[in-house]
Amino acid sequence: MNVIETYNLTKRYKDFTAVSNLSLSIPKGTVYGFLGPNGAGKSTTMKMLLGLTRQTEGEFMVDGKTYPKERMQILKEIGSFIEAPAFYGNLSGEENLDIIRRILGLPRSSVDDAFELAGLTQHKKRLARKYSLGMKQRLGLAGALIGRPPILILDEPTNGLDPVGIHEIRTLIRSLPEKYNCTVLVSSHLLSEVELMADEVGILNHGRLLFEGPLEELRRDAASRGYTSDNLEETFLRMIEEDNERSEGKI
Amino acid sequence: MSIAMECRKLKRTGFLPAVLGVGLLSAMIPVVNMAVRTELYVGRQEPPLQILMEANWQMMAMLNIFLIILAACVLYHTEFADNAVQKMDTLPLNPGSIFISKAIILAAAAAILTVLESAGFAACIFKWFGLPEGCWLELAKNMGYSLAFTLPAVILMLAIGSACRNMWISLGIGVAGLFVVIIIPPDMLAKSGLYMFPFALPFQLIWDADGPGALNLLYAAGAEVLIFVGAEALYLKVRRYFV
Repeated sequence: MNVIETYNLTKRYKDFTAVSNLSLSIPKGTVYGFLGPNGAGKSTTMKMLLGLTRQTEGEFMVDGKTYPKERMQILKEIGSFIEAPAFYGNLSGEENLDIIRRILGLPRSSVDDAFELAGLTQHKKRLARKYSLGMKQRLGLAGALIGRPPILILDEPTNGLDPVGIHEIRTLIRSLPEKYNCTVLVSSHLLSEVELMADEVGILNHGRLLFEGPLEELRRDAASRGYTSDNLEETFLRMIEEDNERSEGKI
Repeated sequence: MSIAMECRKLKRTGFLPAVLGVGLLSAMIPVVNMAVRTELYVGRQEPPLQILMEANWQMMAMLNIFLIILAACVLYHTEFADNAVQKMDTLPLNPGSIFISKAIILAAAAAILTVLESAGFAACIFKWFGLPEGCWLELAKNMGYSLAFTLPAVILMLAIGSACRNMWISLGIGVAGLFVVIIIPPDMLAKSGLYMFPFALPFQLIWDADGPGALNLLYAAGAEVLIFVGAEALYLKVRRYFV
């Protein structure tokens, strides 16, 4: 069963098309890696799923609910972290999460639980504006994880983290479907990173979906195209390069 | 619930000290003016409140509007500074409720100013004019009108603040609006109808509180509030198409 499905989702800004006829199917209980170079349309797609920006064409369903009719119900089920940490700098980490908790109608214990999950418990009393970049990133993640929502949308969640932090967050994301039965849509521009945590991948370039399916299928697809299937990063780069050349009319 | 949450967001912004500080400063204006120039005002034929308001209200109203401009900017700066507004937009919360809650908070701040200023006027009436009959009712009516005339500026400034990510732009628009009112002579304001402009309305003085002039201004203020709330609702509806 698919938790998120999009049908020909398109977003145009005047003469620029950020996302073009995107049809995604994200199965329940999986980590779905959303891959693409900078400007491929990953964040725009995620923003459309959250209702932050309105699609020009197409539609989508989240857990059987349609947008915009059931926007509120959709948002109740999604924990999200988009582009960069978003918080009130004049409030402490704890006060920030408390605001989210109140909006979601969660018990007080959910704040501590979210801090624990994001590994930020010892800094929860500090003002958010005084956090380091990595801590802000973790606060953003804690804000997404609070209440353990059934669907998580995470846009490049490891940006700004040190290697240890990257490893911790990756491990956490990897464990979420099993531990809390949730579905994670996580974006990255690094296949090597997605490879370590995703069950399924969607590869996006210039707003178009180049590939969607399990990692194994990507390997098979790479082999059939004559790429080295043991190095998916190379496969990804070749796919992007080929698509760019096709767009420029070289192929 | 939403109002309590908006109040929490104002922690460490200096919002409440600013409201109290400006309120006290404004309340002190008639007291200090009366104390240093007593002979200029006592012994005149007009009612005490009219004497006091004619002598001091321009300065007090300017302080009120300036605080409303600053406070509206602060209220939305907390949302935009670290992109918290985006987080709020991803939560199951009606964005209109954030605006309405902020409007109630800012209107309450304007009410605090009115109460403090009323106390300043009351102290002056008590100390220098005795207590003429009906003066309390007159004071309550006048200050009630003043508060009502402030509400269009409250809503307009919040609507501007909600649309401008950069606080300096909303602050600039507000200050420019206030300067326009200050530099245009009052008779020209009256002739051109510009006295209905949200930043000019709080400068209006009412002597016949039950007369048609006062009620017309009240209706105008009400209409402006409805127009600006409608404009904000429309903005909140269409903004997602342009992001």
